[in-house]
Amino acid sequence: MRRRGVISCTRNPFQLDWTNLTAADSLMKASHTTQTPQEAELARLLVETLNLEVTAETIDPEMPLYDEGLGLDSIDMLEISLVVSQRFGVKLRADDEHNVRIFSSLRSLNAYIQSHREP
Amino acid sequence: MTPKLLAQEWVARRERGSLPAIKLGVWIALRLNRRAARLFLYPICFFFLASSPAAVRGSRAYLARVLGRKPRLADIFSHFLTFASCLLDRVFLLNEQLGHFDIRVHGEEIVRAIEQRGGGCILMGAHFGSFEVARAVGRNQADLPISLLMYEENARKIRAALAAINPRLAAEVIGLGRLDSLIAVAERLRQGHFIGVLADRNINGRDMVSYPFLGAPAKFPQGPFRVAMLLQCPVVMMTGVYRGGNTYDVFFETLAEAPEARPKDGEAWLEGIMGRYVARLEQHCREAPLNWFNFYDFWA
Repeated sequence: MRRRGVISCTRNPFQLDWTNLTAADSLMKASHTTQTPQEAELARLLVETLNLEVTAETIDPEMPLYDEGLGLDSIDMLEISLVVSQRFGVKLRADDEHNVRIFSSLRSLNAYIQSHREP
Repeated sequence: MTPKLLAQEWVARRERGSLPAIKLGVWIALRLNRRAARLFLYPICFFFLASSPAAVRGSRAYLARVLGRKPRLADIFSHFLTFASCLLDRVFLLNEQLGHFDIRVHGEEIVRAIEQRGGGCILMGAHFGSFEVARAVGRNQADLPISLLMYEENARKIRAALAAINPRLAAEVIGLGRLDSLIAVAERLRQGHFIGVLADRNINGRDMVSYPFLGAPAKFPQGPFRVAMLLQCPVVMMTGVYRGGNTYDVFFETLAEAPEARPKDGEAWLEGIMGRYVARLEQHCREAPLNWFNFYDFWA
């Protein structure tokens, strides 16, 4: 089983400090970091699907998902696209030029799902 | 050595030679015939033998394991020459000059059956022999739509080099540098593409698993196999073995049929398929030792 922490430093050791700073920074904007109920549901789905070591409630909805931040890689992105399509009927496509924005945070992913899911 | 350092080591040395040098090599190769171009390989290999102690060490460490004796300098030279021959032949293969070669294909019925079913498959290769000859067989004889998945930096170089050799093939390269790279793989699989991956190396050292390999544990990346599991597609090992002269043997071997559903015990499924992959790779190494093209300490 693959387990991961919130902070990963796969690239360089300085990234750790940088990530911490970002996390501290966003803590100060407390009003933006509270998960909405939909975001909380999506966070639980991601933690369960990807076997993440973090608890779903602690994921900052505005923290980057890919690479720095939550530290997910392209395999995780594939898993997310599969589970999102299965659970919500929303297809995430590789030729979508907005993918970087869609996957930029829990918040933006949730917003994309909500605006594209089948009624 | 930590996985990270190891990864850095091979990223740093992996492709010796810059793009202009590659382009020049391609230009010369395509203007000479294969026989004349091959004469250049001898001085080039002598040069690398004299100037690349790290590659010599890597070759020596591998050859000692696979041959079970202390390798001679002549063995290491032959090892380099085999590598250089495959690299040169890659130019002709990419240029679709298959007439130079005597290629024997084994297990073609496996890919034929997958093609008829549709839905594609993952072709697992290694830095062993010529993946290119196997791909050329698939593309030109069997007319399979094949895409290659590779690390972004390699992908960029290869796309640029392909522009000089065969621009039509550049679209067949999928770089791993994007967050949606594997979503693209999933889409191509659905269209019935065959996706080639070299599954013996990993750039970031993550998800590496140890398997016994030629008598000692070596680390292999789980990533490519995990992708195959997620996408529930058949997995075929594809190996092009160089026999010297102009002769190649291409082997297609089934590593796993497409699972009906996501395997309940994913880790067990991964262990099974990776075990088979490593065992087959070891078998190929024993049978054609000089085709191994990882010139660094693979067991570090």
